[in-house]
Amino acid sequence: MTGRQRADRLAGLAFVAPAALTLAALALYPGLWVLWLSLQQRIPIFGIARFVGLDHYAFLATDPRFWNAARVTVVFTGVSVALELVLGLAVALALERQRRGRRLALSLLLLAWALPSVVTAKLFEWLYHPSAGLVNLLLGRPLNWLGDPALALPGLIAADVWRTMPFVALLCFARLVTIPPEVYEAARVDGAGRWATLAWITLPLLRSILLVALLFRTLDALRAFDLMYVLTGGGPANTTETLTVYAYRSLFQTLQLGFGSAIGVVIFALVMAVAAGYLRALRREGLAA
Amino acid sequence: MRWAALIVAAALVLGGCAERRDSAGPVTLVFKHAKILGPSDPLPGLLREFERRHPGVTVRSEPLTWTSDEQHQFYVINLEGASPTFDVLMLDVIWVPEFAQAGWLLDLSPWVTREELAPHFPAAVAAATWGGRVWGLPWNMNVGVVYYRADLLAKYGLAAPRTWEELAAQAQRIRAGERDGRLDGVLWQGKQYEGLVCNVLEHFWGEGTVLLGDDGRVLPHVDRAEEALTFMRGLIERGVSPGWVTAGDEELTRRPFGDGRAVFLRSWPYALDLFEAADSPVRGRVGIAALPGHAGAAVGAGTTGGFHLAVNRRTRYQEAAVELVRYLAGEPAERALTAAGVALYPTRMALYHEPEIVRLRPHMPRFHDLMLAARPRPVTPYYLMLSTTVQPEFSAALVAVKTPRQALEHARHRLEYMLGGIR
Repeated sequence: MTGRQRADRLAGLAFVAPAALTLAALALYPGLWVLWLSLQQRIPIFGIARFVGLDHYAFLATDPRFWNAARVTVVFTGVSVALELVLGLAVALALERQRRGRRLALSLLLLAWALPSVVTAKLFEWLYHPSAGLVNLLLGRPLNWLGDPALALPGLIAADVWRTMPFVALLCFARLVTIPPEVYEAARVDGAGRWATLAWITLPLLRSILLVALLFRTLDALRAFDLMYVLTGGGPANTTETLTVYAYRSLFQTLQLGFGSAIGVVIFALVMAVAAGYLRALRREGLAA
Repeated sequence: MRWAALIVAAALVLGGCAERRDSAGPVTLVFKHAKILGPSDPLPGLLREFERRHPGVTVRSEPLTWTSDEQHQFYVINLEGASPTFDVLMLDVIWVPEFAQAGWLLDLSPWVTREELAPHFPAAVAAATWGGRVWGLPWNMNVGVVYYRADLLAKYGLAAPRTWEELAAQAQRIRAGERDGRLDGVLWQGKQYEGLVCNVLEHFWGEGTVLLGDDGRVLPHVDRAEEALTFMRGLIERGVSPGWVTAGDEELTRRPFGDGRAVFLRSWPYALDLFEAADSPVRGRVGIAALPGHAGAAVGAGTTGGFHLAVNRRTRYQEAAVELVRYLAGEPAERALTAAGVALYPTRMALYHEPEIVRLRPHMPRFHDLMLAARPRPVTPYYLMLSTTVQPEFSAALVAVKTPRQALEHARHRLEYMLGGIR
């Protein structure tokens, strides 16, 4: 290593240092603290602070409320992300073909995505309103969307799809407009029909962007909190209680700091596992280092 | 050189965050409180008056979001972190024993005598004291009440109901007579949240039982609690209440009644101000009744709620902070809650019979009686644990995911497990 290289290296480290330190202070330290908390029974109102090792995790393993929350989280994530991808892709394809009114459509799409999620939740509260809501008016039936154990989760999924489908649509659309027209011309010359072009040209070219969208959306959906928190509070009968809502209730409502942290750690592990899986897939695509 | 500059910059940034405050010199009290809803907020005027009376003391008022959960979260994080960033706080009555037990509140007993508390409603005082000590001063009062359409009841020659069974029968009779498909019978709050617990407790009391016994036993009479939940479920099954009450909160149920589309509504005093507003379709047609009991069981009572004022134990200005709390809970300050456009009810009983206040708000004496007869939710440091544990179970009974018996057994089992190691 020459002196010049060494100096460059040092300067590089110096420039990275603030970011690394900030990350350590903001992410690593609280993360380790939560992990440490999860090994303790800590309930300040009762003056309880004692080390319990893995007891909380053992309790969670047999806790029906935890498994219910885990199931709700997985169903919510799986169904809403799948719908968002399919609908987002369809909207992107439609947008690409559309010449007139495209700008307007794009701004309307952005609007749904840009709304704060609490506003979205309030909006859907009115859409789902049992007697005055637009949804029931259109259906012509007085359905109890947020108060029926069979309808509440589908209702939340619909709200989430409405809110985040535009994100997928815009990502796909951005990729679509960069596909050179020559590729399509070549396909046409080769005699490919509309469906064949979609299946063999467009979709393969969208693959990597779809993976990125999938990664973002899955991680977001796994941590979903605000919609159910505002719309149903996890009810009725906990049919919409996700892991994050359960963690929130344990941590901030009942102040079981240790127990709540244990749920938090489980969510973290779940999110990390999913993220690692996606990153591997992305690496195969040559998208991530 | 560059390194040094970075370090200096970082030190400046970090140093700037830590605000320096000295205890000598002028005092600035920080007052955290729930955002006051309604057209007129009495707080700024009261705080300026306090500053005028106490030269050298400035009060900085910092409102929190009005969602109760978010306020609780804010307090928990900041008080557990032993942060002295605020001195005086407004807190929901159900948090007082919890915060006191956690050691977050200043014990007000050395300053506040029993006599000073006597003018407040007994239910409010009960919620402000814990373990024989005073932790907060009552500030505003809330009580569960039943609103009814006085015009409709009169049309059918009915008097305000005294039991739930009578109430349900009246609702059915009026609905049958009116033949209006858009007219609902009884609206109440059945969503899985704190409001559901208030509604269920009122039915428990009407059945002569409680959620938490005096001896600390959870659900001491499961049979009567089962009767209560079965009755509530029955209201939905019989069509006396619409199915959507299982998702109903205060506003969702208040609106249809305010539009004249329900005969009965269980709600809080704030709703009356809206029903009596100039453009309200039900103006002058709403009656107020006490929460009914259940036939052959007990007399009903409404749940109390409201906000108390307390002092952060970590405050650097104990004297001034206690002074502010006593001032805000004092007679002149609570009188300001009854001003036009303020949708709050004071905790001082005498104000409910003051001629000039009654002239502006004729229903005050009626609310006085209901508040006097009302009961607080279990006054215990683990109230929120209790409440959040029973909420999903009560909800499960209402939406028929579980039978009332199953729901109660599950709630009891879980509570006994959770509280077992603590008590």
